[in-house]
Amino acid sequence: MKRFFLIACAAAILVSCGDKISVEVVRKEVNVYIWTNYLPREVIAGFEKRTGIRVSVDTYDSNEAVLAKLQSGVADYDIVVPSDYMVKILVPQGLVQPLDRARLPHFKNLDPRFLNQAYDPGNGHSLPYLWGTTGIGYDKRKVKEPIDSWQALFDERYAGRILMLDDVREAFGAALKLMGKSINETDPATLRRAAAMLKAQKRLVRTYNSSDFANLLAAGDVDLAQGYNGEIAEVVGNAPDRLAYVVPKEGGTLWIDNLAIPKGARNLDAAYAFIDYVLEPETAAKIVNGVHYAGANRAAWPLIDDKIRRDPAIYPPEEVLDRCELIEDLGKTLQLMDELWTEIKAQ
Amino acid sequence: MNGGGWQRRWLAAHTALVYLFLYAPIAVLVVFSFNAARQTAFWQGFTLDWYRRLLDNALLFRSVRNSLLVAGLTTVAAVLLGTPAALALARHEFRGKRTTQALLYLPVIIPEVVLGAALVTFFGAVELRLSLWTVVIAHVVFSVSYVAIVVRARLAGLDPTLEEAARDLGASSFETFRRVTLPLAAPGILASALLVFTLSIDDYVITSFVAGVGATTLPLHIYSMLKVGVTPEVNAVSTLLLAGTILLIVIAHRLLQDPPATGDPK
Repeated sequence: MKRFFLIACAAAILVSCGDKISVEVVRKEVNVYIWTNYLPREVIAGFEKRTGIRVSVDTYDSNEAVLAKLQSGVADYDIVVPSDYMVKILVPQGLVQPLDRARLPHFKNLDPRFLNQAYDPGNGHSLPYLWGTTGIGYDKRKVKEPIDSWQALFDERYAGRILMLDDVREAFGAALKLMGKSINETDPATLRRAAAMLKAQKRLVRTYNSSDFANLLAAGDVDLAQGYNGEIAEVVGNAPDRLAYVVPKEGGTLWIDNLAIPKGARNLDAAYAFIDYVLEPETAAKIVNGVHYAGANRAAWPLIDDKIRRDPAIYPPEEVLDRCELIEDLGKTLQLMDELWTEIKAQ
Repeated sequence: MNGGGWQRRWLAAHTALVYLFLYAPIAVLVVFSFNAARQTAFWQGFTLDWYRRLLDNALLFRSVRNSLLVAGLTTVAAVLLGTPAALALARHEFRGKRTTQALLYLPVIIPEVVLGAALVTFFGAVELRLSLWTVVIAHVVFSVSYVAIVVRARLAGLDPTLEEAARDLGASSFETFRRVTLPLAAPGILASALLVFTLSIDDYVITSFVAGVGATTLPLHIYSMLKVGVTPEVNAVSTLLLAGTILLIVIAHRLLQDPPATGDPK
């Protein structure tokens, strides 16, 4: 009994010490909550060396994780990196704080193309960090001609060799873009026509998959895969003679991940210092060169590796990018889309 | 006679298939940790690179350390809390026993998502900042029930007359506990400890709710790699953990095979 008591006491002391230590160190630290492989170690080391502020990195796998943590009100993160649609959810709930532009002198380096988007007009609460696209990864040796249109995913000749993302917005996005419509179309008649296209396409689709599409393409299980550029770029990089990625000429979906500061962040000065450091051209270029995602920093462009700049899987051609769109909240229309999608999948 | 031979062969084949079903994925995981290709899709030759890169990956390393720390602390705390509960339930009658029992089993039945959401709301309400400690607390919450259930099952199978005999021979109740009950319950306690350690080390759902700054555990880290693709580094770290687990089980097995003779457990 005595021993149990002793252990309990020791545990209690340990717990209280743990708390004290973290409180004392707080001022010299910045806690970053970010996607995996989104922050090269070199960048962290550079910031720590210059400022003496320790960077603590925790990783998450979904935007919803960020939402849950910030809603708890007891998470000590100073910087989070939500995607476009999540910013739109976080801001009205007051979970991220307004950004003080005066403390971010390098804001001017950002590419205006990625600023002032519908999810955060005027960028009062968020700054674009990295971005990417949805397109088609394909096996060059197995397709008849170079792929440049969503039409390929609806082509009889590729029956049974097509992979579609298991995602209602992405599937409708491909069909709508092919019809020359916006991926954020809300007209029910148009959506029904898109659904009819997807229903007819189902016979051609080998599998609907949102998590393993790049591997299935690399393994040769499918010859054409709708997918996000990051994962596909990874497998293309390993087999550049065999695989390729393209954003169709009709345009695809675009996503932007953003830097934001949670409400009540304890290390506010450190957070601003870190964000401004990230906005410096040299840092921004190091990030793009390290993570192989496109960055939103215009001033960094000349410093980015030539190979990355010329990789259309990372930086699609300007005129294609012009036709890419962010997925927006459709409100009630999403319900109709979900119903149609269920019909397609259940067919 | 012939029928018997066939039956035996069928049974052997069936057994082999079941084991193959259970272990083939693990074997693939281990094999691919030595794969030179970055993807898990095809084999490109032998390499130890992923193990070397593991040493270099500070984040992954920290997540392994976090997981081991959480699992270790959880196991100790859950065993210390759960064993007395099991004893009370197995050996004593008291008012509200049924309710206590039902409440104790509840965390095993509640969906993890609900428990995770409830815990994070609770931590928010009492203003406890999320950290590695909140992960330990959350794991102890669901682990105590497992310890109580397993240890109680072991106690239920024991002969209560042994304890009575000890007391008749003049042992105090603490002595009886220490020299009779505890040694007899030890295999159950050890089994529950192993179970809890395993549950804790691969818990994802609850942990994802309650982990705070610096508290990314291995499962959280692996899931978060899905966005850019899981590299064989994860295979490598899983292989190492697997090796550790097997070692642990072998040790536990050895310990259990030597029943305490006259019962003076260390």
